[in-house]
Amino acid sequence: MTDRHRILLLLAPALVILGGLFITGLGLTLLRSLRYFPGLGLTDPDLSAYRAILTSPGFLKSLGLSLWIASASTLIAAGLALAAALLLRQTFPGRAVISFLVQLNLTIPHIVGAIGILYLFSQSGSFARLAHAAGLIAAPGDFPALTQDPYAIGIILLYVWKELPFITLILLANLQSISADHESVARSLGATRWQAFRHVLLPMLMPGLAAASALVFAFAFGAYEVPLILGASAPKALPVLAWQSYTDTDLSTRPEAMAMAVLIALFGLLLLFLYMRILRSGGRDAP
Amino acid sequence: MLRKLAVLLLLSSPALADTAEGEALKAMSWDEIVAEARGGTVNWFMWGGADNINLYVSDYVAGILKRDYDITLNRVPITDAAEIVNLILSEKEAGITDAGTVDLIWINGENFRSMKQGGLAFCGYTGLLPNDALVNWDNPAIANDFGVPVEGCEVPWNTVQFAFAHDSAALAEPPRDMAALIAWIKANPGRFTYPAPPDFTGSAFVRHVFTHAAGGPESLLGPFDQATFDAVSARTWAILNEIEPFLWREGATYPNTITQLNELFANGEVAFTFNYDPAQFGLAVQAGTYPETTRSFGLTDGTIGNTNYTLIPFNSPNKAAAMVVQNLLLSGEAQLEKAKTEVWGAAPAIEISRTSPEVQAGFAAIVGHPSVIPAAELAKATLPELQADWLSAIEKGWAEQVGN
Amino acid sequence: MHPRLRLLAALALAGWLVLPFLPLAVWSVAHGWRFPDLWPRALSGKAWGYALSDTAGVLDSFALTVFIALSTTVLAALVGIPAGRALGLYRFRGKGLVTALLLAPAILPGLAIVFGLHGIFLRLGLVGTTGGVILAHLIPVLPYMTLVMAAVFSAFDTGYEDQARSLGASPAQVFRHVTLPAILPGLLAGALFAFLISWSQYLLTLAIGGGRVQTLPLVLYSFAASGRNDITGAIALLYILPGLLILVVTSRWITGRSAAVVGTLRP
Repeated sequence: MTDRHRILLLLAPALVILGGLFITGLGLTLLRSLRYFPGLGLTDPDLSAYRAILTSPGFLKSLGLSLWIASASTLIAAGLALAAALLLRQTFPGRAVISFLVQLNLTIPHIVGAIGILYLFSQSGSFARLAHAAGLIAAPGDFPALTQDPYAIGIILLYVWKELPFITLILLANLQSISADHESVARSLGATRWQAFRHVLLPMLMPGLAAASALVFAFAFGAYEVPLILGASAPKALPVLAWQSYTDTDLSTRPEAMAMAVLIALFGLLLLFLYMRILRSGGRDAP
Repeated sequence: MLRKLAVLLLLSSPALADTAEGEALKAMSWDEIVAEARGGTVNWFMWGGADNINLYVSDYVAGILKRDYDITLNRVPITDAAEIVNLILSEKEAGITDAGTVDLIWINGENFRSMKQGGLAFCGYTGLLPNDALVNWDNPAIANDFGVPVEGCEVPWNTVQFAFAHDSAALAEPPRDMAALIAWIKANPGRFTYPAPPDFTGSAFVRHVFTHAAGGPESLLGPFDQATFDAVSARTWAILNEIEPFLWREGATYPNTITQLNELFANGEVAFTFNYDPAQFGLAVQAGTYPETTRSFGLTDGTIGNTNYTLIPFNSPNKAAAMVVQNLLLSGEAQLEKAKTEVWGAAPAIEISRTSPEVQAGFAAIVGHPSVIPAAELAKATLPELQADWLSAIEKGWAEQVGN
Repeated sequence: MHPRLRLLAALALAGWLVLPFLPLAVWSVAHGWRFPDLWPRALSGKAWGYALSDTAGVLDSFALTVFIALSTTVLAALVGIPAGRALGLYRFRGKGLVTALLLAPAILPGLAIVFGLHGIFLRLGLVGTTGGVILAHLIPVLPYMTLVMAAVFSAFDTGYEDQARSLGASPAQVFRHVTLPAILPGLLAGALFAFLISWSQYLLTLAIGGGRVQTLPLVLYSFAASGRNDITGAIALLYILPGLLILVVTSRWITGRSAAVVGTLRP
């Protein structure tokens, strides 16, 4: 057997399953978004579903909200994760406990975290009760609306909680492969601690940080169950809006749901492209 | 554990179709249907958010089905029946006509209208159920589901009537009619709100205001009328916009769901919650969610009552077994069991006078939960449910004129 | 960093990580916990009694979720080991494209494909079946398994296999005695992640399971959505138990070297 055949044989099952399910799933979504629905008597593809959603204020608000959720969550989580990774690189009493908690968090389903955040931050939640006990508020309504709120604060809090450990773990793994020598060399050449971090360590961490951030962004942009639990009645996060359009008992809204899914997929593909580039350039530049 | 895994493996093979088609079933005698149903499995999709109701179905109903009919009842908890209507619609569109996922669904209102209009319901068989004789089909509130004629497409399960709840420790004397409630809201800023339609319960509250604005239900009976709607809805939006600044969070936002309103009420944030099924107040007190001092009331100008049903989809592969389930649910004994306060407290959908003396005595012996207004008391002032077309128009208008 | 400041930062991090579990745990034993009470009026085992009862179906859902996650993991390993071997050991034309295709389902949100998948599975009669859900879970799971195995094989020396074969070992013996021991740590790390990704799926299960395949997250949401915080708390704690157990047993696998592998994983 030649290598070519061997490679093909080895890859075949994975390509058949992922190709079969993923590509056809995406393909059918695309067809339906073009209003090609022979079952409903629609046989002339057109772009009206896209026109409809792109001119609908509700959709644009949802798109904006989802982009806001993904950007804010990613930036905050990445920044805090960088700090956490630098902290956990050092040795101090209790480090093992924190490392365990960081790993534990990785195993927790998002939906559990979302419910926990809801019970903590809602206007009658744990923090509101503490504020009441401290005499800061008289009634739940006095507590700031942090969940089911228009700025999606609760959703962002959940992602910061859930993705901070994820990015931290990746950074820690990267830090293990970076020897401390680089920094000590820089320090011995007269660089300050900050300069050594800024010009030596950070560039070496950047590919890992960027790749992890791309994954977090993609997830926060496309997740359904988190905004379902923590989101406001309007505007809805894009995935929630798409699912509601899909499950509407009026089948005529289906092409619009499909068009939303295609736009979500396009954002995903863009992120995939960026991610592959980061991995490739990371592979070239990293020590 | 091993047995459970075996069941799972069985579940993972596509459902085997009943040998008998729906039409063939209709030509059978009840005994033949019961024989056909033996060994079957019924996937009953129903709202799953109340542990008491779940246990009534999984313990009591499923126990009898297994013991007497060798039928396995698989309770499938759902949060939104509209998603299931959509699933059946998708199945129809995909050409699945005899191996559908759903055998039975707890349903009413707009979802029933969608099922019936879409040809998604198995119809014309209800007369075959022996316990159908206990149902008073002459009662228009049973024979029509939100104004849509039932016509043998579903079987009544419970009757309910809208009621309000308040904490008697915080508010001793609640307003007793709609005008007084509106005045109370304005006098007590931030203490009232309602879930944004199309939430099922929030939409029902708005219909009460709508009926109030119409000066009573008389002009709203019958099919949708645009002229009447325009006149009444203008007055309705005026009232709702007038009270908006006095609502919770100054009306800038509304709760998404009745659950969120219940939560606000449980935590003393608002003074009232309401529900189509007053038994829910008792269940919430038993669960510790609401204070013991919770009491409920209707309005002297009436509250809307309706009936909820169980329905067999057209493509259920287990129709015979599903019919046996429906017949059992209608029996005097099963209706009595769920009427018991500690079980559920649900009002029966059958005529108690047509049941056996033992069942009648059982109903007479029920002591209501102190937090739940007795159905008879509520029934002194009832409003009819509007037809589904009115509902759609009101919900759409609300989103444009009030909830924007 | 100043030691005291460092300790403070460490405490803040630990606190933040633990915080969301606290109200869940208290709610699971609470009977009546309304604003502004800092602690429930009464404690009760009712929610746990319900969640652990025979008829509530929560335990059945637990078993079902375990079954689905294990099946998905085994299938992903069977498919992912060969694919990982191809990607890790060989250079070939179109490798970038193949990698992108294998990676795409891990990065693209499930929502992008779930509607189309639903349409296909409906026609195949797979909606509402456990098998259909397992197949659907393979989509987000397989990329991880494949990429983890690719990383493992890229550090694998095929010389040992050649030696064994030249000594007369059959292919099965070679795999059993040479290949498997070498890739086992990586395989276990990959399996752990595969299990957890399947374990936490919500939307794919809801859509493809058609409501009938009731995994734990679906049961959890149905109580969360109806405001039964006590039962929600109990089910939530049950739901995180396997992850916790796996972590305690296997924590050495996701530290150190295999943590680098996490770098290719989804959050």
